[in-house]
Amino acid sequence: MFKSQEEESFKKVETIIGPSVKVKGDFNSQGNIVVEGIVEGSLKTKGSLHIGDKAKVTAEIEAGDAKISGQVNGNVKIKGYLEIMAAAKIFGDVEASILSIERGAILNGKCTMAAEGAANAKKEKE
Amino acid sequence: MHVYIYDSYVNQKKYDKLLASIETRITDLGLNGKICRLGLMKNIVSLVDTELKRGAKTIVAVGNDSTVSQVINSMAGSSVPLGIIPMGKDNNLIAAGLGIGLEEEACDILSARRITKLNLGQANNLYFLAKAAITNKGTVVEIDKNYSIEIMGPGEINIINLNINNEPLPEKIKIDPQDGILELFIKTKDSKSFFKKITGQSVFPFKTLTILNESHPIILDNSIKVPAPAEISIAKQKLNVIVGKGRSF
Repeated sequence: MFKSQEEESFKKVETIIGPSVKVKGDFNSQGNIVVEGIVEGSLKTKGSLHIGDKAKVTAEIEAGDAKISGQVNGNVKIKGYLEIMAAAKIFGDVEASILSIERGAILNGKCTMAAEGAANAKKEKE
Repeated sequence: MHVYIYDSYVNQKKYDKLLASIETRITDLGLNGKICRLGLMKNIVSLVDTELKRGAKTIVAVGNDSTVSQVINSMAGSSVPLGIIPMGKDNNLIAAGLGIGLEEEACDILSARRITKLNLGQANNLYFLAKAAITNKGTVVEIDKNYSIEIMGPGEINIINLNINNEPLPEKIKIDPQDGILELFIKTKDSKSFFKKITGQSVFPFKTLTILNESHPIILDNSIKVPAPAEISIAKQKLNVIVGKGRSF
């Protein structure tokens, strides 16, 4: 009955990059993406992005929301909520409006949050 | 007028009884029409083309996936609906995906005339309704020219337009042959394990892709072979198909 926000946003997954697959190039999507394999290049989506704990992403990332459990080499720019899980290893700058980092996660890079005004505006909207 | 295209295998004696019961049901439902039997000397493309020009109201493929595949390639772009009467349980997955039951049940569905406009996939100059498949051994896939996919490990690549229920897709993936998008489904298996356990599933929605493979062909709808490299996309032409209530979309 009380489904989490993340569960709701992943109700309809459009793209799954499985564990035995390597994607090279500019990957653009409008929907939700789950990454369990390897991505090299850039990864952009307006939807939600889930990077699994065995995934290796060497790319510039842009997404609506994201949950990262795997390894990321590159900058991460998230419009909404970025959730960094304990198994995550991020080597690059991180930008998000809302951020949570679980104990044990590795984050090496500059961390930028949205301006206070933008955050307040979002709160008012909600 | 209904035009019934009988596949050549239907002429085998073991189908006589079945065919008689279907023909009786068709007569009962008032769906009588012309019967065309396929054979070695008959060209299905010109046969369907002639019947369409003569004003056929419905083209009905009586046979299996191979029959449906041949008929689709003969009538793509036409507004005349395609009906299917599957004969025998083997190799009749397209009909099942469209919610069409076997034999007499299929006649009832034909009579109900529930017409749906479906997308067709196109591989070079050939069409497919359900899927195109190729082994992933030595296969490279380029999608929309923006990125390429490398597959590490043995398995199979399927390009799916209509889910014909024999592929266990990830649960959150829904295939719709009316959404104007094809799904690339990559399944990899553990070659060392005796049962060849599935180790990974990947799904990519796309509109155009290129498949490169020097040694293996692409198989359309479990019947037509197309040599790679091939460009696969959603065809501009759509097809009206008579479907059943239990369809997969």
